[in-house]
Amino acid sequence: MEGQLFGLEAISHYRGWAVAATGAIIVFSGLLILSLIISQLHKLVALLEKSPQSLEDAPAEATISKASSDPLDIGSLLSHYLPLLEALDTEFQLAELYRLAQEHQLPHPHLSIRRLREADKLVFLGNGFFRYQD
Amino acid sequence: MELFLKFLTNTGFALVDYRHLIMLVVGIFFVYLAIAKKYEPLLLLPIGFGVIIGNIPFFQGFGIGIYETNSVLHYLYFGVTNGIYPSIIFLGLGAMTDFSFLLANPKLMLLGAAAQMGIFITYLSALALAFKPHEASSIAIIGGADGPTSIFLTAKLAPDLIGPVAIAAYSYMALIPIIQPPIMRLLVTQKEMKIRMPSMRTVSRKELIIFPVIGFILCTFLAPASIPLLGPFFFGNLMKESGVVNRLAATASNAIIDTATIYLGLTVGASTQGDIFLNVRSLGIFFLGAIAFSIATASGLLFAKFMNLFLKEKINPLLGAAGVSAVPGSAREVHMMGLKADPNNFLLMHAMACNSSGVIGSAVCAGILWSFLKG
Repeated sequence: MEGQLFGLEAISHYRGWAVAATGAIIVFSGLLILSLIISQLHKLVALLEKSPQSLEDAPAEATISKASSDPLDIGSLLSHYLPLLEALDTEFQLAELYRLAQEHQLPHPHLSIRRLREADKLVFLGNGFFRYQD
Repeated sequence: MELFLKFLTNTGFALVDYRHLIMLVVGIFFVYLAIAKKYEPLLLLPIGFGVIIGNIPFFQGFGIGIYETNSVLHYLYFGVTNGIYPSIIFLGLGAMTDFSFLLANPKLMLLGAAAQMGIFITYLSALALAFKPHEASSIAIIGGADGPTSIFLTAKLAPDLIGPVAIAAYSYMALIPIIQPPIMRLLVTQKEMKIRMPSMRTVSRKELIIFPVIGFILCTFLAPASIPLLGPFFFGNLMKESGVVNRLAATASNAIIDTATIYLGLTVGASTQGDIFLNVRSLGIFFLGAIAFSIATASGLLFAKFMNLFLKEKINPLLGAAGVSAVPGSAREVHMMGLKADPNNFLLMHAMACNSSGVIGSAVCAGILWSFLKG
């Protein structure tokens, strides 16, 4: 026990404050920079592809905000999901519907598919397969 | 008769002492938690049985124990003491990680950064409790909630603490359903728990391919000491996202990571021999590990609330708890807590984004601490 330091004396002796503060700043700054780079990554990709991708994003976001006005309204949901259901086989798995919903950037896909199930628009056939019921 | 008596004196019954028995009970308890309660069985079952293996009394000098240089267990333990298994596990982890939600909402990366503050606060606490800087770093990294990272850093800085640090790290990871919810309820209001996260934009395949390269280069330029962890991690992710080496990605995310997990858990458990493990320092490490975990969770939650002061589109503060690196346990807890507040609020994938950010953050922290303290 001889020579052992405790408390604030130990922290100061081993430059603990400097190590902790410097380490925290470095980690935070590094991940902040990485997040800033990531936030611009899709623009960089668009530039590399030389496509007006960033312009196409804006109307898509507007469509999403309109579609999300009432995520629980069945009529509204069906108007968006019927085209997807028609693209699928008569018997399909929910994961396929979910994937299409994501590709078409429909909002709240989990909630919407659950709502369709609750409204008996999606009927469970067994073995993980469903069909659309008009 | 003499031979028979000699045989009896060499049995476990004659060699056992109370410390072996305590650790055998601990090992059996871990196995029970893994099988009956399903608390992180992939971790607790190998560790629990490893504790049982390591605490069977045996006679020294015959190459049986994990600390005897010519024993099989010692050869298998080489992967722990030299940081090999953590690197292999990170390869598989990268091959299983989907960064699309993180790329779609990069702000969530800051929650992973905030949760790592628990590491540095615990570092100070460990110094205050008379641990040396190398030991304090190894204990503090428990706050990153990442078992492989904890073992990796401890192997480099304080190898004699691998047993208690690894047991503490994996135990607290398994106890996330007990540790995190009370902190979430304490720091996040019911109204805040109901905040819904926006739907995510679709992330292109090119972004998913570019990210591991850029992420690896940036993080390792900042902290080169994290190369052994982040190199395999981002490589595993690149294998997954490239789509051209699906066999390799599948092998990394299945056979390779499972093999490393088995041997890491088994040998870490076996290293907790009662006569070496049961002491005041181990108790101190367990206590500090709980502090580290709790502060890391609280840091993430509080930082999310702080961010909401400046954001128009608020973040659900619960996601801050997923900034710790305990994949996927903390994401699952955040999701369940969100569902309790609002049954139609699905936070899982957003929480996974914070989780994956935490993995990167804890590995960078390990690299930084190693570079500060090496030599």
